[in-house]
Amino acid sequence: MKRFLLNRFAGALIVLLGVSIITFTLARLIPSNPAALYIGPRARPDDIERVSRQLGLDQPLPVQYLVYMRDMLTGDWGTSIGTKRPVLDEILNRLPSTLELIFAAMLIAIPVGIALGVLSARWRGRPPDIGVRLVSIVGVSLPAFFLALLLQVFFFRNLHLLPLAGRTSSDLRFTNPLESITGFNLIDSAITGNWVALGDTTYHLILPAIALAAYPLGLIARMTRSTMLETLDQDYIRTARAFGLRSALIDYRLALRNAILPVLTVIGLTFGYLLTGSFFVEIVFNWPGLGTFAVHSIVSVDYPAIMGIALLGAIGYVVINLIVDMVQAWLDPRVRLT
Amino acid sequence: MRPLSRPARLEGPVKVRTTAREATPRLRLLGVLGAVAIVASACGAKASPAPSGAAVSAAPSVAEATPAATPSGPLVLKVASSAGITTWDPIKSFSTEALYLANMYEPLLWVNPPSASEKFTPAIATSWESSADGMSWTFKIREGVKFHDGEAVTADAVKQSIEAAKDHGGASFIWAPLDTITATDPLTVTMKLKYAAPMDLVAASLYGAWIVSPKALAASAADATYFEKGIDAGTGPYMMESFTPDKEVLMKTFDGYWGATAGTTHYDKVLVSMTPEPVTQQQMLDGGEVDLALNLPTENIASYKTNPNFAFIEEPSFFNYVGYFNVNKKPLDDVRVRQALSLALSYDDIVTIGAQGYGTQSHGPVPAGVFPYSADVPQYHQDLAKAQELLTAAGVQPGLKLEMTYTSSNQNEVRFAPLIKEAYAKLGIDVTLTPMTFDLQWERAKSEDLAKRQDMFLVLYWPTYSDAGSDNLWSLFHSSEKPFFNLSYWKNAEYDKLVDEAGTKTATDREAAQAEYVKAMDLLVDQAPGLFFYDTKFVTAIPTYLQGFQYNLNYPFAAFFYPMHPAN
Repeated sequence: MKRFLLNRFAGALIVLLGVSIITFTLARLIPSNPAALYIGPRARPDDIERVSRQLGLDQPLPVQYLVYMRDMLTGDWGTSIGTKRPVLDEILNRLPSTLELIFAAMLIAIPVGIALGVLSARWRGRPPDIGVRLVSIVGVSLPAFFLALLLQVFFFRNLHLLPLAGRTSSDLRFTNPLESITGFNLIDSAITGNWVALGDTTYHLILPAIALAAYPLGLIARMTRSTMLETLDQDYIRTARAFGLRSALIDYRLALRNAILPVLTVIGLTFGYLLTGSFFVEIVFNWPGLGTFAVHSIVSVDYPAIMGIALLGAIGYVVINLIVDMVQAWLDPRVRLT
Repeated sequence: MRPLSRPARLEGPVKVRTTAREATPRLRLLGVLGAVAIVASACGAKASPAPSGAAVSAAPSVAEATPAATPSGPLVLKVASSAGITTWDPIKSFSTEALYLANMYEPLLWVNPPSASEKFTPAIATSWESSADGMSWTFKIREGVKFHDGEAVTADAVKQSIEAAKDHGGASFIWAPLDTITATDPLTVTMKLKYAAPMDLVAASLYGAWIVSPKALAASAADATYFEKGIDAGTGPYMMESFTPDKEVLMKTFDGYWGATAGTTHYDKVLVSMTPEPVTQQQMLDGGEVDLALNLPTENIASYKTNPNFAFIEEPSFFNYVGYFNVNKKPLDDVRVRQALSLALSYDDIVTIGAQGYGTQSHGPVPAGVFPYSADVPQYHQDLAKAQELLTAAGVQPGLKLEMTYTSSNQNEVRFAPLIKEAYAKLGIDVTLTPMTFDLQWERAKSEDLAKRQDMFLVLYWPTYSDAGSDNLWSLFHSSEKPFFNLSYWKNAEYDKLVDEAGTKTATDREAAQAEYVKAMDLLVDQAPGLFFYDTKFVTAIPTYLQGFQYNLNYPFAAFFYPMHPAN
């Protein structure tokens, strides 16, 4: 197990190094001048030169990269060209907002996806199976931002049932101000006993979480169905049925436990995908998370912010994959031998 | 039940019927109860009244034409805007953060809209005068004005602010005429100029003219990020209470504001939600989540004209669309060709499609309502026959290829650029449309490699302050060795002379300056180094319960919140 973990960790470091080099190079290849963007449309040549020097953009690329990596390893991820504040601070301030949205989406996608997948497998070839497969395809195919817009039109504009955008109502800061402790509004409101804020936050979380959950839900349902079908065809399952065990016991205790392993991998990878997949949903819902910051940074060619977000995404993927591998190894000893 | 033994070998698949009803009912019940609890608490959160002492003005549904009764507590104006913040430093500011800064800071004076009876409104300065030759300007400072940090506004504070703006301001060039500024007494500043210039207009600029607390200036000099923490050091009616990057800005009234008048209602707080998407802003306005949306989508705004719950605002703005011909490239170096290309366009269609009808064809590069605009400056109107004649006379054969660059993020340009291509195609000219980000578009236009430069260039322009003579006419078409804004690269000594002379007269004889500028614009239109498409209009819809909204074209990115108040 120790050797397994060491191998994975070494691989992760190599991946992160590669990501940093690729992202750094790609960002510099964008045909745009961040100094000019920083100043605005009235940028004068001498101002551009001054700001380029100020931002270190006049140095050779390898020097810029080495300086960046040295600073990053000591906790200095640079200063955002757009906000003029440390990139790491900007990321950490926004990360809870994005994670809260992602967790909410996964809270919907995982149980619903698995349940639908099991249902679909149990009713193979019948209307529930067809229905679930349709839902899966739609969930996977429909762009999240488009689904987000549809949800807004339907639930806000037409039904006046759910809010349009934002993480909380603008009135909340005046009526029931929420004290920020962890940055996760649901946790902070529960800790401080601010039930109005808890309800308001949940209310605002519903639509963006649904929009974000659609893709992983579809994927998880499909994968669960597929692995369940394979497992349900196994001899031991047939034997269990022959012995008269209840279907629920067979499906959920015997079959699902074996079928879930590949699904866990998918869940892990989906979680990593959602770190960046949330960008468009955040833009549509004006969600103050990493997504809006990332989009603004890309549009304004904010190099330090782009690098920081890309590296964070890479770290997220690597860590999640590591966790998934460890969970798989714990659940299935055969994995440790490979 | 006996334990399972090793199963016997089975022959063939065994089908066992399963039913959904065998699923555990407890889990389902728990799930439903959990969902009900969450929804109930959410509904409870919506329905619970605001506790006293912290009440807010409720944004009413659109169906109601009047606001809800205002309980005791702060009166809050909720605004949606796409205005981002490049810096909180009032000296360096040169972008859309002017929306916020214009409510937290004040200049020496404000320029009024063209329809006002008085040209200026005093602000930090109560009066001003210039010498007969326009080389010396004296401003009297208002007594008793305080900065938000408690410092008193003095002549020395004004001097320091202007010197800082001249030295390293985002719009430092507006102070180019300034030679020295002296605090001749505690409440008087005198500006000595290198050449005559309208310092009243300069001192009323949206950029580079804010009067800032000297204490803050000193702190900023020591720490370049001082203001970025959200510190404000102005004299305006509002102060910064808090801001969250990319999310919102919350301002509160400044209790020591010199301009406060007893008995008038103002919003105690202004909460601006940064909402980049115009459609989202529209939905927020329609749904009552905000009282004011500053960037409604142009294509949807006509629906508010017939809505009795909204007042439809349509006013001239500071902005216009100009096109450049690269006069250094053949055959655009021939004035006949440029005139032909000017005659080929349907300007009505360009206004209808580009501006969605909210614009008027330009009379030269100065927008309507801004000095030295004149409706006497000629316009081109579509005349394809005459255009063809001119092209033939100039020896231009069908098949000429031109490349036109425009800003990819500018929706107006995206809409009307194809109309130009289509119009020129009728003359046998093939135009390649090249959308680009504005920084790349400008970088290419200023390339040292002349062959890389475009043939035509579209730009949205606006003057930095209310003198489009020294800005639009000078910046866009005056000769320059290295192009800055003159991206037609046109050099005309007669035009330069007219504009230079007019500039020196603006401070002393504005009418004479206007006459010179009009001559310059007549020459400009005739020689056609550029295309003058249209002056845009500012359009928005304001709920009828919101009073006091005043649009001033001289402050294009600003909205002034202090005069606003609920109707009742």
